[in-house]
Amino acid sequence: MAARVLVTGMGGELGTGVAQLLESRADVGEIHGVDFVPPRRRLRRAEFHRIDPRRRERLRDFVLEYAPTHVAHFGVYEPASRMDPVAAAERTELCSATALSAASRAGALEAVVVRSGLEVYGPPRSRASVPDEQVPPSPRVPYGMSLLRVETIAASIGRRLEIPVAALRYAPIVGSHVPSPLGRLLRLPLVPVPAFSDPPFSLLHPDDACRAMVQALLVGFDGPVNVVGLGAASPWQAARLGGRIPVPVAPFAWTGAARAAELLGAAVAPHVIELMRCGRTGSGARAVSELGLGELRSTQEILAELYEWAEIVPLSGLRQAVA
Amino acid sequence: MSPLHAAAYGLDADRVGAAPGVASLVRRRFGGRFFIDPFGLDPQLCDVVAPWIGAAVRVDVEGAEHLPTSGPAVLIANRGLGLAEPAALSVAVRRAVGRRLRVVGAPDLRVAGGWFRRFGAIAGSAGDLGAALRAGHLVAVPLAPTWLRSGAGQPPLELLQAMLVAPVLPVAIRPDGPFGTPTSWSVTISEAVPVDPSYDLDDPLAAAELAEAVRARVDGLLGVAVDA
Repeated sequence: MAARVLVTGMGGELGTGVAQLLESRADVGEIHGVDFVPPRRRLRRAEFHRIDPRRRERLRDFVLEYAPTHVAHFGVYEPASRMDPVAAAERTELCSATALSAASRAGALEAVVVRSGLEVYGPPRSRASVPDEQVPPSPRVPYGMSLLRVETIAASIGRRLEIPVAALRYAPIVGSHVPSPLGRLLRLPLVPVPAFSDPPFSLLHPDDACRAMVQALLVGFDGPVNVVGLGAASPWQAARLGGRIPVPVAPFAWTGAARAAELLGAAVAPHVIELMRCGRTGSGARAVSELGLGELRSTQEILAELYEWAEIVPLSGLRQAVA
Repeated sequence: MSPLHAAAYGLDADRVGAAPGVASLVRRRFGGRFFIDPFGLDPQLCDVVAPWIGAAVRVDVEGAEHLPTSGPAVLIANRGLGLAEPAALSVAVRRAVGRRLRVVGAPDLRVAGGWFRRFGAIAGSAGDLGAALRAGHLVAVPLAPTWLRSGAGQPPLELLQAMLVAPVLPVAIRPDGPFGTPTSWSVTISEAVPVDPSYDLDDPLAAAELAEAVRARVDGLLGVAVDA
C-alpha cells in the first residue's frame, strides 16, 4: 500500500519543500499537510489544511480521520523566526503533542520523523565540541529544551507502537528565502561578534534539510541523526564574507547587543546568542553513512547564497523596451 | 581533494597548501574568503605559519611509508613537557605525506583553546577524537608526558576505545641535536599495531590490551628496555 503522509508545518519553507519532494515519488500516495499559514509554493498533489495548532480539537480530529502511515513533523517553530519565543514554544508543544498523539491513536502509523536541532546538545564543551549522536543531550536554551521535548514525545510513541522514530538534529538552517533569526542577524549592516573568541558554527541548506527528511521517512530510520552541512564558518568570517562590519561584543554585553539588533530589524533569540558566543557544530557522519546523504552543501556555500541578492531590473527601462 | 575543497576557496582541511602571499592573505582575511572546519582548524593560517615552523624545527623522519596518504589514522607518540614533540610530529607528517595533523589536547579555555584549535588541536575527549577519525583526519594522541623524555608515558585510557575505528601507529620522537639537545628531532613511525578483529569496539579489554601494546612499541622504538 502506498504511504499516506502527514506533513505538519507544511506552510513553512521546509514543510512545503518536503511536500514537493514527496509529490515526485511514485511510492507515496496521499499527502496532507497542516499549518497556520499557507504553503510558500504551489503544490500539485498535496492537500493543505489551514489549522492553527492552538485549535487542538480541530487538529486532533483531522489527524484521526486522515490516519497517516507516515508523519513528517515540521510543526516545530524556531523562536524569533516567524513569531516571538513564547508563541513559538507554545505552538511547538501543542502541535507536537496533539498531532503525534492523534497519529499514534489513528491506528495506521508506521514511521515518524521529527525536526530537531543541534541545540539539544547545548553549547560546545570540552567533552564534545563536535558532538555525535552518542553525546547525551544537555540543552541550555529554551529552543533546545523545546526540541528535546519533541524528541521525547516522538520517542515515546515509537516505544509504544514499536515503530521507527527518527529525530533529525539539523544544524541551523539558513537560506536567502528562509525566515531565520541567524540569517537576519548576519545580514544586518553591523554584525555583533564575540570580542575575544571566534568559534566555529556549521549551517545546513534548506534543500538538504528537506532531502534528509524524505530519506529518513521513506527508509524508516530509527533514532537521532545529525544533519550538518560540510565545513564551518566563524562569526567574524561570516560577517566579512557578506561585506558587513563585525562589531566586537564583550561576554556581558550580549543582551544589549541583542536589543540593538532587534531595533535594527533582527530579533535575536537566546539560541542565536549561544551560537554566536560558543559556536555550534556536530558530526554528520551518520547521516552520510546511514541515510546516504552525500553532497550536502557546505557552510561557505550557504553563507554565499545568504548574501546573494537578485539583480535589480529597472522597470522603467523594461516599459520603454515593450513600448 | 576533499569534497569541501572546491567550496572553500581552494583551501583543504586535510591536505596542506602553498603559503599564500602577504597581499593575497590580507585581501582574503579582510574579505572573509577563508574557512575553518568544525573543529576550529583554519587551513589558511596553518599554511602561513607551517613553513616558519618547518624552518625552525629540523626533523628527520623514518618509516614515513607507514603513514596513510588518505583516510583516518591515529599516531600515538611519546612526549616530554611542552609543545615540541607535537610540533615536530606535525612537521614530519606535513613533509612526508602533505597532510594536516590534528593533535589531541586543546585546552578547555575559550580564548586560548580557540587559538590552539585554529592550528589543529582538538579536545582530549573520546567524542571529538571519534568525530575527527570518522571525518577521515590524521590524529596525534600524545602519551602522558615524561620528565627528561625518558620513555613512553601512560596511554590516555579514556580515548583508547574511540581509537579502535582506525589504524593505530606508534611513533617515537627523540631530540636529535648534539648531546641529545632538542635543536633537531628524529621521528620514527612504526607500522600499525594489529588489533584482533574479533574484538568488540565497546570492549574495554581490547582497549586496555591495545594500550599496553602501543606503549611497549613506543618504548621499543625509543630503545627503552621493556619488562618481559
